[in-house]
Amino acid sequence: MNPVSPEKTMLKNPSPEHRAPRKDQVIATRKSCAADGVGLSHYILTERKGH
Amino acid sequence: MAVTHASRDAGNRPSGSHLNTGEGPTLLPLDIGHPAYMGLVDPDTAFWALVHKDRLADALEGGELLTSFHQKRASFQEEMQTLRFGLQPSAVYFNPTDRCNLDCSYCYIPQTMRRHGTEMSREKLLEALRLLQGHFAKTLPPSRRPRVIFHGAEPLLNKEALFAGIAAYNNEFDFGVQTNATLLDGEAVDFLTSRGVSIGLSLDGIRAETTHRTRKSWAGNLNVHAKVLEAMERLAGYPYYSVIVTVTRENASELPQMVEFLHERQVPNCLLNMTRCTLPAAREVRLADEEAATPFIAALERSHELFRQSGRKLVVANFANILLAILAPTARRLMCDISPCGGGRAFFALAANGDLFPCSEFIGLDSFRGGNLFAGGLDAALTSPAFHRVTGRTVETIDPCRRCAIRHFCGSPCPAEAHEMNGGMDRPGAFCAFYEEQTRYAFRLIADGIADDFLWDGWDDGVVTLFDKVGPLVTPEVSPP
Ligand code: SF4
Ligand code: SF4
Repeated sequence: MNPVSPEKTMLKNPSPEHRAPRKDQVIATRKSCAADGVGLSHYILTERKGH
Repeated sequence: MAVTHASRDAGNRPSGSHLNTGEGPTLLPLDIGHPAYMGLVDPDTAFWALVHKDRLADALEGGELLTSFHQKRASFQEEMQTLRFGLQPSAVYFNPTDRCNLDCSYCYIPQTMRRHGTEMSREKLLEALRLLQGHFAKTLPPSRRPRVIFHGAEPLLNKEALFAGIAAYNNEFDFGVQTNATLLDGEAVDFLTSRGVSIGLSLDGIRAETTHRTRKSWAGNLNVHAKVLEAMERLAGYPYYSVIVTVTRENASELPQMVEFLHERQVPNCLLNMTRCTLPAAREVRLADEEAATPFIAALERSHELFRQSGRKLVVANFANILLAILAPTARRLMCDISPCGGGRAFFALAANGDLFPCSEFIGLDSFRGGNLFAGGLDAALTSPAFHRVTGRTVETIDPCRRCAIRHFCGSPCPAEAHEMNGGMDRPGAFCAFYEEQTRYAFRLIADGIADDFLWDGWDDGVVTLFDKVGPLVTPEVSPP
């Protein structure tokens, strides 16, 4: 929405020393489970003992 | 069998399988700012692929990636439909008092309420829990334990009633408490930790000077920072606790140091949240949208370095949630970054006088009051027009979100901000550019194979894999014309 300068949008790639270049030509995954998220910006439940 | 260019153009594929036309798969390119990979996203289903830039045209011309996605698209669509429209409320943000001993700059509860508001009696609090239990017994399967999060204002100002409720109903609910920590003394910590209650604290700086710029007591005479640190010492080693850092222009430059500070104190989770801009006072201290990503990503980077050095994670939960929204949409733990957001449909908020709101963010905005637990009841509130205004807010009705490739990783939060600050529910919230950058950064981590470093250990236990194409790109063999 807000116009952002290219310098700002092109944040440098993080911590290069930790990155090994990947050889995969494609990376596409999707996982799934029963949805039970109930956190919001004021709180996150940090345990799932009833589940 | 090889196909010629001419035969491909003649439509030698199953009907409706061309990219971005008819019933074919829809994939928008997404520049993730990575040297080697470009993103492809189907915004409606939140399906994505990262493709090596020198194979992008081949990937879009057809082959295994498009075919497999096309086959699974309907099931992804159904999954998103359930996540967005098919949930039952299973948690309550419960304010046992309207009052607070602090006067934080960005609080979404109006000052008059926090100073002079209602306090729920012990009897009323127990009655509320009884009514809530009755409701959830009807709506949730027996295997699903509902959550009650005591929230505020400052819930520990009403400690006696609160603890009576937790003692009486600890087998029926998973309890949590979000507190400013100034009243979290040894006795309170013992009570809560011995019952496995999830605890959230708030701290805004590594030094008192920073914390006190935004987290202030009414008379300015309480050393909030020191009190929170004492509580953190008591909680050291407790796994079910988190610290919320509300990010404003007063502390943004210190975010990487804040992460070090929390990691050193063995905090297992934190939230680095941009302040919500619902009430005007919060807007005074907010960061501009385009300023938010840089300090935030610097803090994530620091958390990653600390993990690599120590082997111990401090999970930045609000960012982890963006990663989850990408990797496994249903595994998300926070419900702000999806539309409709969780307000009024995954959870709701209960004020100290029994009034019901879609989310705590709306307490203080009278027109979003959906009813009262003790008079009229919960069922009526959940189906009230006030709740529908929030549960009916979808990204498809918001400009520019309706055109945005990452709309289901962002959700255009928050409806309260959109309504109060930007003029209506059909407007975006406060931090569009920030979501763009978080999402691009998340994809870069996935491209670099290190996303798990930013997530909770065991996050994918019990999670099933629906799609898994990692490796060489398999395309139809094309013979020269
Ligand atoms: S987006 Fe706003 S209203 Fe919705 S759950 Fe988050 S804080 Fe509450
Ligand atoms: S707020 Fe911005 S990033 Fe989020 S869905 Fe809307 S346009 Fe996309």
